[in-house]
Amino acid sequence: MKKIILLSVLAFSTLFAQVKTDIQVPYMPYEIKLGKGFDAVQANCLMCHSFGYITNQGPQPRIFWREKIMKMINAFKSPMSKEDIKTVEDYLFEHYGNGKEE
Amino acid sequence: MKRRDFFKTSIVASAALLTNSATAGVTGQPNETRKVSKYAFPEKRTLITYSDRPPLLETPISVFTSEHTPNDQFFVRWHLPDIPTHIDESSYTIHINGLVKHELKISLNELKNNFEQVEVSAVLQCGGNSRSAFTPTAGGIQWGSGAMGCAKWKGVRLKDLLQKAGLQSNSKWIGFNGLEKAAYFETPNFVRELEIDELDEHVIIAYEMNGEDLPYLNGYPLRLIIPGYYSDSWVKMLSNITVTDKYKSLFFMDKAYRIADNATESETPEKHYKKTKPITVMNVKSVIGYPENGARIYHNSEVVVRGVAWDGGFGIKKVMVSIDNGKSWKEAILKDNLGRYSYREFRHSFKPTEYGKLNIMSKAINSLGEEQPLSEKIGWNHGGYKYNGVQIVNVEVV
Repeated sequence: MKKIILLSVLAFSTLFAQVKTDIQVPYMPYEIKLGKGFDAVQANCLMCHSFGYITNQGPQPRIFWREKIMKMINAFKSPMSKEDIKTVEDYLFEHYGNGKEE
Repeated sequence: MKRRDFFKTSIVASAALLTNSATAGVTGQPNETRKVSKYAFPEKRTLITYSDRPPLLETPISVFTSEHTPNDQFFVRWHLPDIPTHIDESSYTIHINGLVKHELKISLNELKNNFEQVEVSAVLQCGGNSRSAFTPTAGGIQWGSGAMGCAKWKGVRLKDLLQKAGLQSNSKWIGFNGLEKAAYFETPNFVRELEIDELDEHVIIAYEMNGEDLPYLNGYPLRLIIPGYYSDSWVKMLSNITVTDKYKSLFFMDKAYRIADNATESETPEKHYKKTKPITVMNVKSVIGYPENGARIYHNSEVVVRGVAWDGGFGIKKVMVSIDNGKSWKEAILKDNLGRYSYREFRHSFKPTEYGKLNIMSKAINSLGEEQPLSEKIGWNHGGYKYNGVQIVNVEVV
């Protein structure tokens, strides 16, 4: 009988919050290529998303990266400066490009 | 045709497809080679990880052998980087406002006690699941087949909440907003809008998943559940429901999660189809969880192929399995039906009689007679949405 009571208490308790304290989402290290323009990438892109978003896209043409940057500015309102747009595009194309302009 | 001949023809065929790729775009098998990461996220086992901020976690394909996906292996996809790190369940409320007769603020306790409690088994699948099958690469996270899961969700009907609030006669749209926030104030919130006519009594607001609280990363404490639909509108940490008479133009509605509005829902990489539509109802699909690509199986042993099949809620009629590169198909055994929105577990046993490489394929057919196409028959689309090609698992008989 004792056993049964204990089990039902346990079963009931799972319905309470599993989030009783703060939850820590781990930070992960990403292998990202260093090079010219990396500072601008770090300053602008990391505000909203990890480098995983960049490295998981696969090699892409320049226009793909340009359109991604413009989406971040137009749709997500990234306050990226004009100079940084070009710098970040060049960096992404050099390190994560497929060699094709389009 | 001998197997060797088959491979010869398929090499020629794929070479032909590759030369076409500059103009057409080709579709193959999704990338299932990624391994789980070293980092376990809160309440989760280690999963395939694309990003920590926002968290993007994929379920390994071997998990898809049973009708419900365990909470600690269930896939995770957020859109914005800032998620609350603590929810106080005693003060959490969901607001219902806009064109209603009585604005409501409902606590979790009231939700669990003052409304009829309902349960539904339903598949939650990202519209971009299996996106890595498309070439050239379609924009977005390059998911394998694990941006999905099926759970038993418990909660209350949205309809019952709206009835309590009382819809005004001119109400037409409902906007859903959760607690995730952007880094910049100007970034649009992840608000989803659905037309009231789209919402039937199966749409629920869930607080429980597979008999437990929702895991934090799956939207604790409340999540919108729209059975049969892709998960882009299943808003997590749901906090606000606003009824309106007009459709508001929103980035996440107008630009994201849309597909070419033509018969084949496809386009070319050079020229995207102008008219688009939301992805909405899921198409028919199956995934083999066992064996996995690269597995070695013993000659003359009893091999049991296991997997899951589902569609947008019409119901799975049968699943066919082929072990001879699609020349012949045998009907798999289907497990009991947990409802038309659930995974349907299938299995098929056979004895491999020849040594060497072997391809195992599965093809689901729903009650409307719709069946999964071969992957190469699927047209390319720039968002990489709605892939549902026949899966091919390569194993070796030893």
